[in-house]
Amino acid sequence: MKIDTAEHSDYMVVSIAGEIDMYSSPALRDTMLSMVKKNVATVIVNLKDVKYIDSSGIATFVEALKKMLAYKGKLKMAQVPDRVMEIFNFSKLDKVFDIYGSLEDAAKS
Amino acid sequence: MKNNVKNSSVASKKKKDTVTVSAGYLRDIEKKVEDLETIIEVSSIISSTLDYSRLISIVMEKAKHIMQAEACSILQYDKESNKLVSEFAITGQLVTSNVLLKDRVTFDIGQGIAGWVAEHLEPVVIKDVYLDERFYRKANQMNNFETKSLIAVPLVGRRGLLGVAMVMNSKDKGHFSDYDAGIFQTFCVQISAAIENSRFYTESVQMEKFRQGLEIASVLQKSFLPETPAFRKGNLRVSATNIPAEKIGGDIYDFLEPVSGSIGVLVGDVSGKGISAALYMAKIISDFRYKSKMIERPEVVFNRLNEGLSNSPMGMFLTASYFVVNVNTGQFTVSAAGHPPFLWVTNSGVKIMDIPSGPPLGILQYEYTSSEFTLKSGDSLLILTDGVFDAKNTSGERLGFECLVSFVKEHREKDTFVQAIIDFVQDFSNGAEMSDDITLVELKWQ
Repeated sequence: MKIDTAEHSDYMVVSIAGEIDMYSSPALRDTMLSMVKKNVATVIVNLKDVKYIDSSGIATFVEALKKMLAYKGKLKMAQVPDRVMEIFNFSKLDKVFDIYGSLEDAAKS
Repeated sequence: MKNNVKNSSVASKKKKDTVTVSAGYLRDIEKKVEDLETIIEVSSIISSTLDYSRLISIVMEKAKHIMQAEACSILQYDKESNKLVSEFAITGQLVTSNVLLKDRVTFDIGQGIAGWVAEHLEPVVIKDVYLDERFYRKANQMNNFETKSLIAVPLVGRRGLLGVAMVMNSKDKGHFSDYDAGIFQTFCVQISAAIENSRFYTESVQMEKFRQGLEIASVLQKSFLPETPAFRKGNLRVSATNIPAEKIGGDIYDFLEPVSGSIGVLVGDVSGKGISAALYMAKIISDFRYKSKMIERPEVVFNRLNEGLSNSPMGMFLTASYFVVNVNTGQFTVSAAGHPPFLWVTNSGVKIMDIPSGPPLGILQYEYTSSEFTLKSGDSLLILTDGVFDAKNTSGERLGFECLVSFVKEHREKDTFVQAIIDFVQDFSNGAEMSDDITLVELKWQ
């Protein structure tokens, strides 16, 4: 798994590539929690190049979301691939995360 | 006659091989033999010492003695921090290890003489450390010992650098000689082997303790699941198959009788794996049993469970489906919380039951709902966790939900179709490591 972060004027983008599973999610957790620590108002997660996500990866986003909600921050998912969307649909995570088709849509809303 | 010829030839060869050596050279050879004998003797002691602290203590004492040195120090290489750590040193008659343990001295690779030796993996003999620019002068202040001359040798094992061994200040000479360095290097080969053996031993003891802990956790976890994986009540036959990916898993199933004439069946999957998932699963099972007593409505049980799990650590959550079946009528009510659809197998086909579902439990405040259906004779409900269709083969491909459904459609008429599914998933994996737990529960209405 590869993680890239990019800072924009009023949001940050976390781009992830590869498989997010129990072995790679600790690194993702470090990235997400470092943003939570800085009280970043909006984090957009770009999932375009994610091949698979397991429940430990989802839990990492859930933890970040819960912590961000405490300071009224927003966690947005963008460019979710079909395979990952299937997992999100099965798990009804569309009721948990805000999901957007593109990074622009996520940034605008 | 032949014998005489032979003897004469040997005598002539002996005469030819005779060499005259000086008394000084003989003394040197004798000393080398003595020193090597001492090293062999000491080696047998250290190679049988597996306790690391004791081993280092013996090694330093013996090194000091063999090398006739005032002090000895062993610096360990810490791979994680890429530093040398000086934990033990013996100076004079005093063991200062306790003092140094409280205040560990660390050196970067390349820093000081020890750091140079670790970086270049070459031994050094230094007659006067103050004339050597690599010498780290603060080292003398740190351990209250004045180093004047030294030999430093890298300790290298099969897995790379182990540390650096140093002897300081020759007792009987002004400084160490190249001969001393050769002897110390020979001794350091034995020290490296002994340190490596001791580390392997410590690691194997720790692994064994961990393995035993997991065995106990595995037995304890099984005790949370129903005693028997199959039972029959009225027209309902329930059977469960659970295969954890590791010794302990995060999948849950449970059967209970919330009110007379009804059977409650819970199938769930805790996020994550390993010990944290297993502990969380134990808490959920205990909460579920308590909160489902006397309650026939699955959505009410989920609302209560969700509230109790709202402060779950590290974003942990539970996906689950909970069925309450009337064993007299076949009517059942089901609630889902982010769990994969269940399959309804009838005489005419297989339906994917993607019923209205709430998010997984433990994430958000949510009002869960339920759906009601009635089973007909011969119908089966197949409830599974995502480990079944997320099974991975050696090429990294995953089975997929659709492929699993196709298999169930083709084999639904078999009496043993649950076992056939398990075999199918395991054949697909074809020896690849299981990435997730597998749980399948069948509710059969007869």
